[in-house]
Amino acid sequence: MSKKLLTILLILAVFVIAGCGGEKKEEKKPTALPEPQILNLFSWADNFDPKVIEKFEQEYKCKVNYDVFGNNEELLAKIQAGGAQYDVIQPSDYMVATMLKLNLLEELNMANIPNAKNIVSTLNAPVYDTSGKHSIVYTWGVTGIVYNKKFVKEAPTSWNDLWNDEYKGRLILLNDNREVIGMALKKDGFSNNSTNPEEVAKAVADLKKLVPNVLAFDTDTIKQKFIAEEAWIGMMWSGDASFTYNDNKNIGFTVPKEGTVIWADTFAIPKGAKHKELAEKFINFIYEPKISAQNYEYIGYNDPNEKAMQYHSEEFKNDPMLKIGYTNIDKGEWLTDIGEALTMYDRCWTELKTGK
Amino acid sequence: MSKTWRSHVLCAYALAILAFLYLPLLFLALYSFNESRINAVWSGFTLDWYATLFKNRRVLEALTNSLFVAFISTISSTVLGTTAAIALNKYQYKWKPAINGLLYMPILIPEIVMGLSLLVLFSQLQIPLGKITLTLSHITFCVSFVVITVNARLEGMRPELEQAAMDLYATPFKTFRYITLPLAMPGIVAGALIAFTLSIDDFIISFFVAGPNSTTLPLYIYATVKRGISPEINALSTLLMLATISLVGIARLIQPHYISKNNEQ
Repeated sequence: MSKKLLTILLILAVFVIAGCGGEKKEEKKPTALPEPQILNLFSWADNFDPKVIEKFEQEYKCKVNYDVFGNNEELLAKIQAGGAQYDVIQPSDYMVATMLKLNLLEELNMANIPNAKNIVSTLNAPVYDTSGKHSIVYTWGVTGIVYNKKFVKEAPTSWNDLWNDEYKGRLILLNDNREVIGMALKKDGFSNNSTNPEEVAKAVADLKKLVPNVLAFDTDTIKQKFIAEEAWIGMMWSGDASFTYNDNKNIGFTVPKEGTVIWADTFAIPKGAKHKELAEKFINFIYEPKISAQNYEYIGYNDPNEKAMQYHSEEFKNDPMLKIGYTNIDKGEWLTDIGEALTMYDRCWTELKTGK
Repeated sequence: MSKTWRSHVLCAYALAILAFLYLPLLFLALYSFNESRINAVWSGFTLDWYATLFKNRRVLEALTNSLFVAFISTISSTVLGTTAAIALNKYQYKWKPAINGLLYMPILIPEIVMGLSLLVLFSQLQIPLGKITLTLSHITFCVSFVVITVNARLEGMRPELEQAAMDLYATPFKTFRYITLPLAMPGIVAGALIAFTLSIDDFIISFFVAGPNSTTLPLYIYATVKRGISPEINALSTLLMLATISLVGIARLIQPHYISKNNEQ
C-alpha cells in the first residue's frame, strides 16, 4: 500500500467529515475540569532527545504523550479530523502556511515563551508565517550538492556541475517535484517558486537532459546509497549530509552559489488545544540554552538557538556539514504555496519521471 | 535415472520457493546484528541494537499500546465471535444467509475502506480518537475472523452429541458448558490467536483511527522508516517475528492435542 494513497484517502475522509459536521465542533466548553497534567505531542519520530523530555516531565510534574506521524499531509488530516487533541505539533514551513490559511493554529503567547528571542534572527517571521506569532523554527536545513571525493575530483560549486556525463548512472535527485524543479529554476537564476510557464519549461527542458544520468529519484534511502558509495553525486538535505558524513568521511557537501531551498520544521499549537499553557512551557523549555544544546547534539541538526552555542561541544560546533548549512542560511529561499501552478509542476514531474 | 533427475528439480524448486519466502526475513534479522547504523554495509557483529531497543521508551510505549489493544480486542472479539458463531450454527431463521454474509463482509471489504468508514463514524459521533477508538476498530475486524474459525469447527461437530446430553437430562447450560464449549475449543483458541496476530499486525485501520497516546508498533515503525531505518527497527521486527512464530507454534501444539482428544470421544 503506497504511503501517498493512504495520505490522500485520509485527507478525503477529512473532507467528508468537515463537510458533514464541521460546525458542531465549536460547542466544546473551554473550561475543563482540572485534570492530571498531560501534554500530547505530535511530531516526527525520534525528533527529541528522550532525556530532555524526561527532564521536562520531572520539572513540570506532567506526562508527555509523544505520538508520531510520517509526513505533513498526515499531520494535517489528523488535526482536521480529530479537532484539538494534540497540544504541540511540528508542521514544516509550507504546512504552517496551509494550516494558517485553514485557521488551524493558535496564536502563541510569547510571554510564556521568552526563550523564543534566542533564535537566530534570520529564522524569525519567515515568509510562511510573516507575523511570526504562530510558529517557531525547531529544526532547519538547506538543500545542497552531496558528493563523494573519491569519484568527484573537483568540488562542485554550481548546480550546473550535476550536468556532467562522467556521473552517468551515479547521480541522485530528491524524489520531490518542488525540490528538483526548483533546483533547475535556481540554476537558471529564477525563483524556486516561479509560476512563469516559460521559466518552468526551460528548467524542465534542462532536467530532461539530466534524467538519463540519474541513478534514482530518492529521498528515503538516499543516505544508504551514498554511504555504500553506490551514488557519487546528488542533491541532499544538510541534516542528512551530516549523518552520511559521519559514516563515510569521503563525503563532501556544498551549497551551490546560485542559491537553494531552505526548509524548517516548527513548533505550533493547534486551535483549541486543551493544554495550551503547558504546551508553551514545553516550547520554552526546549529553547533554554543548556537544554537546547543537549537536545540538538542528540538529533544532529543545526541549533537555531544563538545562546546555546557556548554549551555545545567542540565536535558539534566544528561539524563541517552543519557549518556549511549555517553559513549558507542566506542562500536559502523558502518554498511557498504556488497555487494553481502546482498542477503544471505535477505534470512536468510525471513527464520527467516517466522519461517522456 | 529420470526419477532422480526429477526429484532434483523438485528439490531445487522447493528451495527456491523457500528462499523467496524467507530470504528477506533472514536479511532483516541478520542486519539487526550489524554494527553500522544503516542497512547498507556490513561492518561487524553487535547486540547493541537489542540493548538500546529496550532502553527506548517510545518503543516500549508503542509495544505496551499494541499489547493492550491486542489483548482487549482478542478477548472481546473471541467472546462476541464465539457466541455469534454458536447462534448462527444452531438456529434456523429467516434471513440467515444474509446475516452470515454480513458477518463476512469485514473480511471481504478492503481494509482501507473500513479504516475510512470507522474514522468518519467516530468523527460524526464526536468520539475523540485514541486507545478507545483503536480498540473498538480492532474488535470490529477481529470478530469476523473468530466467527469463521469457530463456525468451521462447529460445522464438523455432530449434533448427536448435544442431543445425547439433553437426553440424559443435562440443562441447556450444562450441555453448553460440558459438551459444546470443549468441542468448539480448538476453533475458539485458533480464532483468538488469529485475532491477536491480526490486531498486533494491523497498520492500515490503525493509521486512520489512532489518536494521542495510541501509537502502536506498526505505526511507530512506519514513522521511523521515514527518518531512515535504524537497526533498532530490525531488532524490533526480529523479536516480533520470533513472537509470532512462537504463537503459531503454540497454536500448532494445542490443536493436535484437542483433535486427538476429541476423536476418542
